[in-house]
Amino acid sequence: MNLIEATDLRKTYRLSRRTSIDALQGVDVSIAAGEMVAIMGPSGSGKSTLMHLLGLLHAPDTDDGPAPTLRIDGVDATTLSDGERTSIRARSMGFVFQSFNLVPTLTAEENVALAAEYAGTSGSAARVAARASLASVGLAERAGHRPMELSGGEQQRVAIARALVNDPKLILGDEPTGNLDSSRAAEVLGLLRRFNRERGQTVLIVTHDQEVGAACDRIIRMRDGRIIADERVPDVQFAA
Amino acid sequence: MRILRELSRRKLRTSLTITGITIGIWALVVFSSLANQINGLVGMGSEYFADKIVVTDGMAFGSSPMRLDDVEIIAGLDGVGAVQPKVEIPWDPDPAIGFGAPDFLVGTIPGADAGFETFTLELATGRQLIAEDTGNVVVLGSTIARKYGVVAGGTVDIRGESFEVLGTLQPTLSSPDTNGFIPLSTAQALYLGDLPPLVAESLQADELANQIVVFPEVGADPTTVAAAIEAAVENSATMTGAEFSETVGATTVIFNAIIIGVAAISLIVGGLSVINTMAMSVAERTREIGIRRAIGGSRRRIVRELVAEAGVIGLLGGLIGLGLGAAVVVLVNEAGRSSGTVLFDLTAQTAAFAVGFSTILGMVAGIIPAWTAARLDPVSALRYE
Repeated sequence: MNLIEATDLRKTYRLSRRTSIDALQGVDVSIAAGEMVAIMGPSGSGKSTLMHLLGLLHAPDTDDGPAPTLRIDGVDATTLSDGERTSIRARSMGFVFQSFNLVPTLTAEENVALAAEYAGTSGSAARVAARASLASVGLAERAGHRPMELSGGEQQRVAIARALVNDPKLILGDEPTGNLDSSRAAEVLGLLRRFNRERGQTVLIVTHDQEVGAACDRIIRMRDGRIIADERVPDVQFAA
Repeated sequence: MRILRELSRRKLRTSLTITGITIGIWALVVFSSLANQINGLVGMGSEYFADKIVVTDGMAFGSSPMRLDDVEIIAGLDGVGAVQPKVEIPWDPDPAIGFGAPDFLVGTIPGADAGFETFTLELATGRQLIAEDTGNVVVLGSTIARKYGVVAGGTVDIRGESFEVLGTLQPTLSSPDTNGFIPLSTAQALYLGDLPPLVAESLQADELANQIVVFPEVGADPTTVAAAIEAAVENSATMTGAEFSETVGATTVIFNAIIIGVAAISLIVGGLSVINTMAMSVAERTREIGIRRAIGGSRRRIVRELVAEAGVIGLLGGLIGLGLGAAVVVLVNEAGRSSGTVLFDLTAQTAAFAVGFSTILGMVAGIIPAWTAARLDPVSALRYE
């Protein structure tokens, strides 16, 4: 069984009474557990929207077409309430964003522990898990620093530690290397690959960076709200 | 705590908001303490007057003389248990204008109440007056004793003459604190001296009283007895415990209402200040709220976190307001204590209520901004700059 099985995913964003954006026109996608997949395309192609739906940040539209299906780890996600989606996000998913998105008033350790708390782990256990997660990305000694005291690369690694602290089934990255220079970007990519290979975590990366795509097992290309190509990467290019 | 760290992000704004609550709580503490004291005194007064009827001259309350003969007449009426004649005159015939109860000399015959008086006066030093005492002897209420710095065995000057202090009393938080108790005969002599010569000519000291305290028999209705007294004694006016409570009660209700009104207004203003601050804080942290929601923070959790912050603002305002209010209460009470003017009674309940109320006020004020925050769409919130 695949980790993600989805058909007929559509999403329209209503901006005002008259204007709306058809971000996703109808997408079918399956992703197996353990895959590392890049979703690529120009802006407006709907790649971020697809990630938002797969990450349960938004629910797929049910009108204007056939009923969508979305099964994540066997669970039907189309009829979930906001609270239920939030709960699954907390426990089974980890997010990494382009602009790091750490809470500025919290230390690195507290940022990571926050994700653990939201998944139901209590205070001291959460901090223990946070420290372990930071250690696995090589930032154990920076645990007590706040985001503004960390470099961009370090912040992104904290974000990865946060995404991983609950040992999620799925890691979603929205342009995770977008704000980093090439060596930091390679570092971040390396971490994602390592966790994908060693822990079998499924990784989904939205990107427009060809090198990032080349480092993944599979590339899904999108344009104008539809998938136009879905190919395996022949020999995965990755320079450590 | 993380909340304190969050609040110190915007120190000036948080301080101003806390100040708003502080002012409201300060007002609540000070005015409630004032109300506590007044209600307490009224309560004691009501207690004192509850079981007795005070008979005075019909024309001018307490200042014109009555006769001891009236005592006999009253004693003979139905329903009368005991009759106690009194002479109450100002300590100082030309009293200076001051705040609080002026000092009085109270002349009685100890024991005339025949055991009906339930309001006990506890001794601090020395002994109480007895029926056999005559001459220049006095038992002092606690406030007067403290003012002149005497205890039993000392002397005190009253109207130019030296009086031996037989004893001093414990504080009662009521009129006895500012009374000096002397033998009836001594008081009668002084009273005669106070009266205008034209009136004094035709009177003798030993037949005078200016107040007659009547204790109804057990089971007798004070109102009926009072009416009988007024009928039997020429030119008399009576006041029962019920009448006292009514008169005083009406005033205290108004007074308390004013106090509560002032405090309530201050607190509404403080509450609005918290709402405003939390709304601004939430707007500034839109992105952060989006992050929390994205990584799995439920709406309920976000609301809880923000309401807790608002509650801490309320709590801090309450603690500081209580501290400042307590400072005012203690300072003013100490300043007035020697002249018997203890204006405030800050009880533990008032203190606990003030802090509890301010915390809850903060939390309630934080609910709407918190709820707005929780309803944000995480994705758009994340893109917010």
